[in-house]
Amino acid sequence: MTARYYDGLTAEVQEVMLKITSHELLIHRPGESAAVARWPVADMVVLGDSHHEAVPPLALRGSEARLVVEDPAWRAQLVSLVPALKPLALEPVKVVPRLGAYSLAIVALVGLFWSAVDYGTEYAVPLLPYTLQAKLGKAVFEEMKGDKETCKGRAGLAAINRLANDLAREAGYPHEVTVHVADGMEVNAFALPGGIIVFFRGLIDNATSTQVAGVLAHEIGHVVHNHPMKGVVRAYGIELLFKVLTGGYSDILSTFGTGGGALLALRNGRAFEREADATAVRLLEQRGLRADGVSTFFEKILKDKPEDAATARGIWSSHPPTQERIAATKRPPDGKLPFTPAEWQALRNVCK
Amino acid sequence: MSEASSPWVQAAGPAAIGPSGQAAAPGTPWNADLTPSRPVYDGTLGELYAIYLRHLAMMLLTLGWSRFWGRTRIRRYVWNHLSVLGDRFEYRGRGRELLIGFLLALLVVAAWSGLMYLVWLYVFHEKPFATFGLFDLFSLSVLLIGFPLAYVGHYAGLRYKLSRTRWRGIRCGMAGSAWGYGATATFLQFANAMTAYLLTPVVSVNLARPRIVNTRVGTQGFTFAGRAGDIYGRYLGYYFLNIAAWIAAAVVTFMAIGGTIEALGISSGEFLKLFAHPSLHTVVVVLLIAFGAYLLFGLLILPLRCWWQAYLLRYLVTHSRAGNVLFATAISTGQMWGFLVLNYLIVLLTLGIGWPWVMHRTMKLIAGQLWIYGAPQGSEIRQPVDRGPGYGEGLLDMFDVSGV
Repeated sequence: MTARYYDGLTAEVQEVMLKITSHELLIHRPGESAAVARWPVADMVVLGDSHHEAVPPLALRGSEARLVVEDPAWRAQLVSLVPALKPLALEPVKVVPRLGAYSLAIVALVGLFWSAVDYGTEYAVPLLPYTLQAKLGKAVFEEMKGDKETCKGRAGLAAINRLANDLAREAGYPHEVTVHVADGMEVNAFALPGGIIVFFRGLIDNATSTQVAGVLAHEIGHVVHNHPMKGVVRAYGIELLFKVLTGGYSDILSTFGTGGGALLALRNGRAFEREADATAVRLLEQRGLRADGVSTFFEKILKDKPEDAATARGIWSSHPPTQERIAATKRPPDGKLPFTPAEWQALRNVCK
Repeated sequence: MSEASSPWVQAAGPAAIGPSGQAAAPGTPWNADLTPSRPVYDGTLGELYAIYLRHLAMMLLTLGWSRFWGRTRIRRYVWNHLSVLGDRFEYRGRGRELLIGFLLALLVVAAWSGLMYLVWLYVFHEKPFATFGLFDLFSLSVLLIGFPLAYVGHYAGLRYKLSRTRWRGIRCGMAGSAWGYGATATFLQFANAMTAYLLTPVVSVNLARPRIVNTRVGTQGFTFAGRAGDIYGRYLGYYFLNIAAWIAAAVVTFMAIGGTIEALGISSGEFLKLFAHPSLHTVVVVLLIAFGAYLLFGLLILPLRCWWQAYLLRYLVTHSRAGNVLFATAISTGQMWGFLVLNYLIVLLTLGIGWPWVMHRTMKLIAGQLWIYGAPQGSEIRQPVDRGPGYGEGLLDMFDVSGV
């Protein structure tokens, strides 16, 4: 048996012959009987294995010397004599079956991961400690608010918070909901984790009391279904999936993946909107309040901007087409007014 | 040039070059062995994929935490299938060393976040300045430290990998300070950006030098005889050709886009509508346009860049040596295109699954194009006392700039 021997002290290569007995390996130069080294069999180790290393080096425990046997037949022979050296000559990898098995496993795992992210959040998010959600929502709210003040009209805030909490209780939501009114002219409102809802003054100024109640009920829909938190968790989960799938190597690909993740988040967003719309109408009707504000608000948006932004953006939109939402939420103007006249007056003046 | 022929057969003859790189004095006997050889890579794509796909499956199972061990396995495969002068490299790093490095880098970032929070409390008194809040403060500061730290991480990562690499049983290593390298690199890149990238040769040579001269195989060091002045002529040629190419590409693009829109006669509204509800037709048209843009860009600009990069690499390699061992490469613009552009496209278009293929192609390129003249005196290279860092690559991992 011939091999290459490195003594671990210098980079000198010695072509050597090997002789193995039951207790030691004798390493000597060809044609010389004097030993270069004697390695007790019990102290010999294989560094690595033949599945990863082309030729796993043999080493002596506690020494930096190496012995490399290039010939696979000789390595196999060594293993047959010293079974402890098995990693030196493992069964060769059957590449094609192995590639097939791993590919299948990866596809299955991606599917599993995907379902876990998509459906798991449905069940896992409500289990997140509420204090954590509230903290996150508060931090995001403070960040968005910046150094601007929100509206302070006490009676107006009391009115909108009263209705918000009535609706939330109706849905069986166990926590307090807080509505803030931002002094901005956008016709918009949004919900944050931890039951925080933000209305813009522009919406209150430009809508009727039933429409404001409709939008509020829609945002309560987001809150009671935990949509803000689910959105965060899903976006994070999908990003993680992309990162893991690209081996965590390439930053170009992560960017690419984040883009794809954003599109999926928008698709999720459209599903959330539909769910919140349906919940809004249901909650208002259950409390015997007028539920037509939801659809009339959408009609008003469409009238103000006939070129519907949501339809125009298609797959890039976070909201479903407005026409579709009107059709789904259309209700007759039956029931009690959601705000008393005094409440509505106070709400109108909340920023003055 | 044929792949098998050595680019420097002429220069490699006896008495051509003395040990110090100077012409030998007449009459001096000089019998240095300058036999040319190339590294050999005998890994197969199938085996590499088997290891890589296992790594991916484990990544999915462990939500990415297995990557330290997966990377280690891939390196063991690649290193040991590469041999120089008949002796294979050996990779002896461990997954847990990478994990510890990662956790330490995590600690650094956590400490930094804490520091930024204190700044927020005591400098800003928790009051956002205009719309500049805590999150902005944090992201801006990470951007600021991230740039230099990426270089520090790059150098430290190289040091870790070399310290876990053995050839003929001898540990490799990297001397020098990673922080020093990070400072130099940050300064040079900043200066380069300030001077419209006219300092690129200075930056390239001065960032290559510390990496080359600090590399060790046991006690054997490397030397580098490159000077920025040597490559300035070629760089200026590239620089102005590049500007001309961009202008030409811009003119062609504007003419093509203007012509197309005029020919189709569609309004911007209709144009938007096409994108919002993409039909198969739109997708095909967009792909065709992207392909056209790629061809234009690919034909004019990238080959120029590859032409310069190939020249730079040839220069850096041929000006490096390790004792009496010389290096050379005749890597061509086309091969550089395959390395820089094609490899990038493979990774991108396969969503990362083509990554082992790129690795395989790269190893084959190194094996085909690196020429080694002569062999070291094995008995003169000794095992180093230094064992290298105890953990590895944390910062590199953190800033996501690492490959295998």
